[in-house]
Amino acid sequence: MNLRTALAAAALATAIGSTPALTQDRPARDELVIGVSQFPQGFHPNLASHVVLSLIHGMTRRPFTVYDADWKLICLLCDELPSRDAGSIRDWTTPAGEPGLEVDYTIRDGATWDDGTPVSTDDVTFTWEIGRNEAAGINNQELYRRMEKIVAHDARRFTIFWNKRTCDAEAINDFELVPAHLERPAASDPAAYRSRNAYDTDPTQAGLYFGPYRISQVEPGATIVLEPNPTWWGKAPAFKRITVRTIENTAALEANLLSGEIDYIAGEDGISLDQAIAFEKRHGDRFDVIFKPGLFYEHVDLRLDNPLLSDLRVRRALLHAIDRTSISERLFESKQPVADTFVHPLDSMHTDDVRKYAFAPDAARALLDEAGWTDIRKGIRHNASGEPLRLEIMTTAGNRVRELVEQVIQSNLREVGVDLRIRNQPARVLFGQTIRQREFPAMAMFAWFSTPENIPRTTMHSTMIPTTENGWSGQNYTGFRNPVMDDAIDRVEVECSDADQTRHWTTIQQTYADQLPVLPLYFRANAFVMPRWLAGVTPTGHQYPSTLWVENWSAE
Amino acid sequence: MLAFLTRRLFGMALVLAIMSFVVFMLIGLMPGDPIDIMIASNPDLTPADGERLKRLHGLDLPLWERYANWLGRVLNGDLGFSRTYNRPVLEILLPRLGNTLILLGLSSIVAILIAIPLGVIAATRPQSTLDGAINLFCFAGISVPPFWLALVFILLFAVTLGWLPAGGMGGPDAGLFVRVEFLILPVATLTIASLAGYTRFARAAMIEVLRQDYIRTARAKGLGSGRTVFGHGLRNAMLPLTTIIALDFGTLFSGALITETMFGYLGMGKLIYDSILGNDFNLALVGLLLATLVVLIGNFLADMAYAVLDPRISFKSLEAA
Amino acid sequence: MSIATNSATTGAAEPHMFWRRFRRNRPAMASAAVLVLIALAALLAPAFEAMLGVDATRVDLFNQYAPPDATHWLGTDEAGRDVFVRLLYGGRISLLVGLVAALGAATIGTAIGLLAGYYGGRLDTLLMRTTDGVIALPLLPLLIVLAAVDLEKLGVPGAVANSELASLYRIVFIIALVGWTTVARLVRAGTLSIRAREFVRSAEAMGARPSVIMLRHILPNVVSPIIVATTLSIGVVILLESVLSFLGLGIQPPIPSWGNMLTNAQELATRAPALAVGPGAVIFVTVMAFNFLGDGLQDALDPRATRR
Repeated sequence: MNLRTALAAAALATAIGSTPALTQDRPARDELVIGVSQFPQGFHPNLASHVVLSLIHGMTRRPFTVYDADWKLICLLCDELPSRDAGSIRDWTTPAGEPGLEVDYTIRDGATWDDGTPVSTDDVTFTWEIGRNEAAGINNQELYRRMEKIVAHDARRFTIFWNKRTCDAEAINDFELVPAHLERPAASDPAAYRSRNAYDTDPTQAGLYFGPYRISQVEPGATIVLEPNPTWWGKAPAFKRITVRTIENTAALEANLLSGEIDYIAGEDGISLDQAIAFEKRHGDRFDVIFKPGLFYEHVDLRLDNPLLSDLRVRRALLHAIDRTSISERLFESKQPVADTFVHPLDSMHTDDVRKYAFAPDAARALLDEAGWTDIRKGIRHNASGEPLRLEIMTTAGNRVRELVEQVIQSNLREVGVDLRIRNQPARVLFGQTIRQREFPAMAMFAWFSTPENIPRTTMHSTMIPTTENGWSGQNYTGFRNPVMDDAIDRVEVECSDADQTRHWTTIQQTYADQLPVLPLYFRANAFVMPRWLAGVTPTGHQYPSTLWVENWSAE
Repeated sequence: MLAFLTRRLFGMALVLAIMSFVVFMLIGLMPGDPIDIMIASNPDLTPADGERLKRLHGLDLPLWERYANWLGRVLNGDLGFSRTYNRPVLEILLPRLGNTLILLGLSSIVAILIAIPLGVIAATRPQSTLDGAINLFCFAGISVPPFWLALVFILLFAVTLGWLPAGGMGGPDAGLFVRVEFLILPVATLTIASLAGYTRFARAAMIEVLRQDYIRTARAKGLGSGRTVFGHGLRNAMLPLTTIIALDFGTLFSGALITETMFGYLGMGKLIYDSILGNDFNLALVGLLLATLVVLIGNFLADMAYAVLDPRISFKSLEAA
Repeated sequence: MSIATNSATTGAAEPHMFWRRFRRNRPAMASAAVLVLIALAALLAPAFEAMLGVDATRVDLFNQYAPPDATHWLGTDEAGRDVFVRLLYGGRISLLVGLVAALGAATIGTAIGLLAGYYGGRLDTLLMRTTDGVIALPLLPLLIVLAAVDLEKLGVPGAVANSELASLYRIVFIIALVGWTTVARLVRAGTLSIRAREFVRSAEAMGARPSVIMLRHILPNVVSPIIVATTLSIGVVILLESVLSFLGLGIQPPIPSWGNMLTNAQELATRAPALAVGPGAVIFVTVMAFNFLGDGLQDALDPRATRR
């Protein structure tokens, strides 16, 4: 009767036991197939925003400035990073009388679109114009709004006039150039730009790229084929062809790697950490697995206006009760370090001098007793008025790892008498509505992904609490209001000396850990699963992908 | 004949119209529109940006008004753009539809080629051990969760044995042979799911036919058993089978969704699923309507085939049905 | 009184005849036994939990992926929970969803079939065209849309829409909403033939209300196909629940169901293939048993059918 079941079980069992068939004895390795789990939605660098698209654009384009693998800001498309010392960053006053800055850049000599047209200041001003046009529907319009004007001095030199005086004015990482000579016709009707732009009409067209590679073929939903760009000005890349293949089911993605269909699973968008850990154990002899803890900060936002959570003792008790060390060790084999605050240990502004919360159920119980939750009925704490200590946690439904961690937390908290209920929603609902409009009743588990030295204004400043009145803008979902934090954030943005920066960043981290508006969990790691022969891939751990240095990749 | 065709075409149009309205409303009932998500993920967007983008995408109007606008455009031949791909929806849908039809067509053919012999064998020896075994096999096929079966296939044939690719379609410049290689596992998965129904139906139809007088007569006349069965019986048994296969097209389409997802096959089912989850309003809507249209056409062709195969049925009697 | 005798004698099968035929069908008998066993085990889940000294919801990170032993009959999962007991609790959910959704679909189908068959005419045309329409639809994509609908926008009270069990209610509801077509067709066909019979005519002549005629005279005579179709559809629903789980639209954790356990296991297929065996096998066996049972019931209730 269950012959089929037995067969299936046998198949599953043999799949791990035996050495998989090898189909990869190709003579010369001048091709690379990268496996990812999603397909980008659209190809325009300023209209679409997708992790796989940034992976592709890392190979086909270059931003002016970017953080490198050591988390240092560097120039890729400009000659040198502007600075006050060199005189290329100067104070400026906006027409409205506000303090602003003017910053000079020079486009790198030899930078050329792949149809032979040089990259010029014409592209810079065009990109700025279309970015500022409301009808065109560019996503990151705030960036262009802050650029009061751009003045081109010649074909390569230009100056950006910022209408705000900040400490990081030299970074224009997200200022992505589009080719004026191809896009100008489509932009003549800005409202139709979205559907007429060259990137989406024909992403393989010559003239859209200026990186080491250009897109030569696209099979929507499945594959993107890249070939070397003949006009690339830098070091010639080693691979004659790079194919990016999308396989959404991660079990199938893994199977494809084993069967030789793909060579390398990108860490930026590949398999989950626990899958990678298991994979390394089984196939560590054929593949290198690099675990790169990155700026994915997994945490639990607490609703501070929830009467149960407004009590700092309860918040601290919760963190003491959660066995984060075991979660990190048992579920992630210590590849994902426990976080004390949102600032990553690799960040130059990180401090270790903050209040820490070790796993201590007894300390948690004592804190809860102290907070008045003394009456334990059927294992659940109640207060004097008979209310149970019951909280609800929400996260993205279908994210297996988060759901698992959630259940561990539930089990941990029950040990100290807290009744935690789980209610998950699809990512679209959770982020699109529930968290954004602060509709989660108590706790919400999700991750922030950011750049190094990202000032937490939107998440921690008291003016950034989303409300109906402000149209739900801001990301201070916990409702955190703390004058010390507000002051430190205001100052860290404009007091730029090293001493000031360190001082304010320390205050921010200490206040965060002390007041616990958020339960820090851990920094998520990305797993890069590479064949032994692939050399030169350096994971960055932040949102700028490793493919920005694809010309250093080679087969050994 | 003409009246029959007109009536059927009118019926199809009506079903499509109702479907479009219902689906439009349902999609409107889904939480969180694309702009909400964009705002949530980008702290730099202001509320004004949000409203601007919503206006740009027409998301600020009430639902019925959006439907009326949409319908107006569709009747003018403009099916609109996909939000996620920034391309006209048909440009995205048609290649996918082709892929799905290849998958469905192949697996239907394979299923029929297996089902008919199995059904006939079972029918000629009812209650035998062989009949029981075939029955067991059929039930097993419809009792396995399809995604699990697909995974077992991948692990067995692609990973362990390395005979077949684990998924995908072979790339944009793959030759015919490579494409076929990539089709084997998806077609096998889909075939197993539909095989049971066809076999059991073939068996039932065959038993019915074998009971009929003319077969008995043929047998009495001394025609060999094998030739009797295949020559006379099968033709008549084919009739009801044609109908059931066409009616089954809708179910098959659903099965294709799972198969396509597991094997990374670029079909319609997968595309519709992604567009629903990705809030790509237009693509989901047109995709669902296109899928419905295909199924309706399938049903229609089955009726036509019925009339052609069976001279006793005329279009007149179909009209009365 | 006369009504009762009438319907009894025109019934498809008398009880003892039915039992005699059913008993002879060995696969069906075996299936019934298997299903009773599975259902009993699921009902007794807390007893097993107590007996084995395990807790289905307790996470133990120091005992992940344990192999089967005397305490953990099927080992433990990625959170160190007992797989066997979780399967039993999952069985409660999966069987419940299967049963309730199938019954719901049968109720809708019966009502539509009775109305169409009894009143005929325009109503019949309308209902049957609708049925044809629903049959023609590619159901799974539609189910996905339905599963993604925001309940609160539909006016469902927030307390229900936001409860842990919301995914369960939703799945039962949407399956019932689209699964009624087979029963509707069968009941309509049955009703058409019964309503021409003399005892229905005479009841009409005596002035019985249509609702009484439909429920007390016709319904008892079309009950066999309803039972068969419902039995078969329980299996289909259990399978569908696993498919929806695979698509991320099924019963949501932490409530275990066979479908979400299997989905979870398939993601871990290369790490812990044994995890996929339990839920996979139990879904397979259960669905198979419902198919054989339905088949057996069909033969026993309606011996004139040509299946066997």
